[in-house]
Amino acid sequence: MRDVLNEVQAVFRDVFGDDELVIGRATSADDLDDWNSIANIGLFVAIERAFGVKLATAEMAQLTRERQTVGDLVDLLERKLAASG
Amino acid sequence: MSTGTERTALLDAVEDFVVAAPAARQAAFAAALKRLSSELDARPTEGVEAIRRAIRRLADPALDYNDAQKLLRLHRRSIAACARDAADAPLRFAILGNVTTTPLAGFVELFLFAGGIEAEFVETEYGAMDQQILDPASALRAARPSFVWLACDRRELTHVPDARDDEAAAARAVDDELFVWVARWKTLHDALGCQIVQNDFTPPPWRTLGNHELRQPGSPARFVRELNRALRANAPEYVTIHDVEWLANRAGHERWEAGRYYHLAKLPCMPDALVDYAHSAASLIAAHRGKAKKCLVLDLDGTLWGGIVAEEGLGGIRLGQGDADSEAFSAFQRYVLALRERGVILAVCSANDDAVARAPFQEHPETVLHMDDFACFVANWNDKATNVRAIAEQLDIGLDAMVFLDDTPAERSLVRRCVPDVVVPEIDGDPLGSIAILERNRFFQVVSLAPEDGRRTEMYRANAERVQARQVAPSLDAFLKSLDMVACIAPIGEGNLQRAAQLINKSNQFNLTGRRRSAAELRAAADEDGWLTLTMSLTDRFGDNGLISALLARADERVLTIDTWVMSCRVLRRGAEEQLMNHLIERARAADFEVLRGEYVPSEKNGMVAELYPKLGFASMSAPTDGVQLFELGLDEGWTPRPTRVREVNA
Repeated sequence: MRDVLNEVQAVFRDVFGDDELVIGRATSADDLDDWNSIANIGLFVAIERAFGVKLATAEMAQLTRERQTVGDLVDLLERKLAASG
Repeated sequence: MSTGTERTALLDAVEDFVVAAPAARQAAFAAALKRLSSELDARPTEGVEAIRRAIRRLADPALDYNDAQKLLRLHRRSIAACARDAADAPLRFAILGNVTTTPLAGFVELFLFAGGIEAEFVETEYGAMDQQILDPASALRAARPSFVWLACDRRELTHVPDARDDEAAAARAVDDELFVWVARWKTLHDALGCQIVQNDFTPPPWRTLGNHELRQPGSPARFVRELNRALRANAPEYVTIHDVEWLANRAGHERWEAGRYYHLAKLPCMPDALVDYAHSAASLIAAHRGKAKKCLVLDLDGTLWGGIVAEEGLGGIRLGQGDADSEAFSAFQRYVLALRERGVILAVCSANDDAVARAPFQEHPETVLHMDDFACFVANWNDKATNVRAIAEQLDIGLDAMVFLDDTPAERSLVRRCVPDVVVPEIDGDPLGSIAILERNRFFQVVSLAPEDGRRTEMYRANAERVQARQVAPSLDAFLKSLDMVACIAPIGEGNLQRAAQLINKSNQFNLTGRRRSAAELRAAADEDGWLTLTMSLTDRFGDNGLISALLARADERVLTIDTWVMSCRVLRRGAEEQLMNHLIERARAADFEVLRGEYVPSEKNGMVAELYPKLGFASMSAPTDGVQLFELGLDEGWTPRPTRVREVNA
């Protein structure tokens, strides 16, 4: 079983340029100053590359709504990874 | 600027990235950024030059989106930590259009910096293009940017025809659309005097009419094609049409089209393509500012042909028809020749005996390039760093105007370390790969072509011959007399506007004030009463030098002030500047001016004219204020023209 949360954390660290960044399932845009709509572009690019998945327009839109958390992203990735076998 | 051999841990890390194999690139980039970051933490004011150089070399148009963002962050940190070059006010640019400008503007700023231009992005309201253009109180109008990029795409077209429209209706739609854009250009330019970069348009990546799409007059693809043609045909000189359709074609429409990212964040193209898109736009601005490269320095064995001519002989080198490898080298030579024909100066830098190196260009039956294609030919056994410097000196161009192409990694590394201002792209000995690398970096970007461009190598070579003639001439005066120089002095007008603008924007050494002027600003000055404009064209017995000097003077009561004066370095020390001054003084006296004033703004490169005004008889008026040194010449007392060997004829 992949540790998706840990891999997502590695992506966040890379995109935000902060090697010590720690995120959890409850982390949301409210907790990270730099996590804005521009940062989402970089995050989605890096997530797609790191996990070898393609995010649909609707999924990207969902993830950018208010109160979305890292947990929502992790759940989505786990579903997509399971579906692709 | 540092001139010695550069070796710091930072530049070593950058070098590792530059030479990295594709699979190792990402890791090498991360390592270099880490170095750069700790360098910024450790000693932000020391090693500023190494930090700047590192950022310039890491700024590659092929970076992916996130890597480019990381580099941009460090670039911003370095600007905060290291003082800007105080000499230049930053160039201000704005981006208009229904796009998210933040990442785009950041990348443009980064690539302009890499190209030697400190730039500042002017924030404007998102999307409100026409309000920004039309409202005299808008943020755009207030900021007065010198470049405005209309970064629009097909979604901003307002006269799209119906797919079933006939030929006439579709043509009307193109006309109506064209009118909207021409009006925007004119309003912007009248209000700001700015240079405009206008995107052309890219058809949608789908064809609802299938293969029939382009046959149908009213189809989206046909409309965009006709509109792009109309935009180019109607663009005035202050508008540069940015060939975005070509970028999309090269990337492939499916990879270019933003789709998800457009709907999510109004990105004009896929994030990874955004880096190259910004590089393309930045290259246009840089070329306008005279920062395009001027000279391609070429190695021979393994670069212009396959094999080693000294060992394999004329018949042994691979060039011409027969096998794939030889044909590829011919193709590369044709590409290089085409660059020469449109104004890139070619030079050879080869470790060879001179006669051996020349032979293929003189005797090989299938050579595309010949000796007279090169402005400078250096084949000897000195190290290449020394030779590259010698070439720059002989051609009288800056090191930062040169691109050095060599298939041998050690030579590239040597030149990169010892002559760091010269750009040294990584090539792998595949001649077609060399074309791709030169293209990808847009070193020789073109924003306009003047008739002189095609003859540049000829003119530079003629100059080299003049230098030799000077060595055998018995005295300088006799030499100048033997040149049989004829000058034609004329005001700036339609016929010489482009060339004058080019000269003003490219000259660094004989440039008294460093002020850059767009063609549009020159046209305005030429038409205005308060300005006197002069250009000088010069021929001599070796050939036509073309337009070699431009001067702008502004009138204020009885004082005439030389605001801008540039001259091509090819014709220095031949009396042309004295002759132009004689002409100006006569004109000023005839127009009853009492004082002629000269301004000198020192820069890193124009030290050669620091003493020009005193030499021409002007008196120094003051210590420099605001970086401007003033000189004056009284026009009322008796004055006799300075003797020159330049004969003036009427325009």
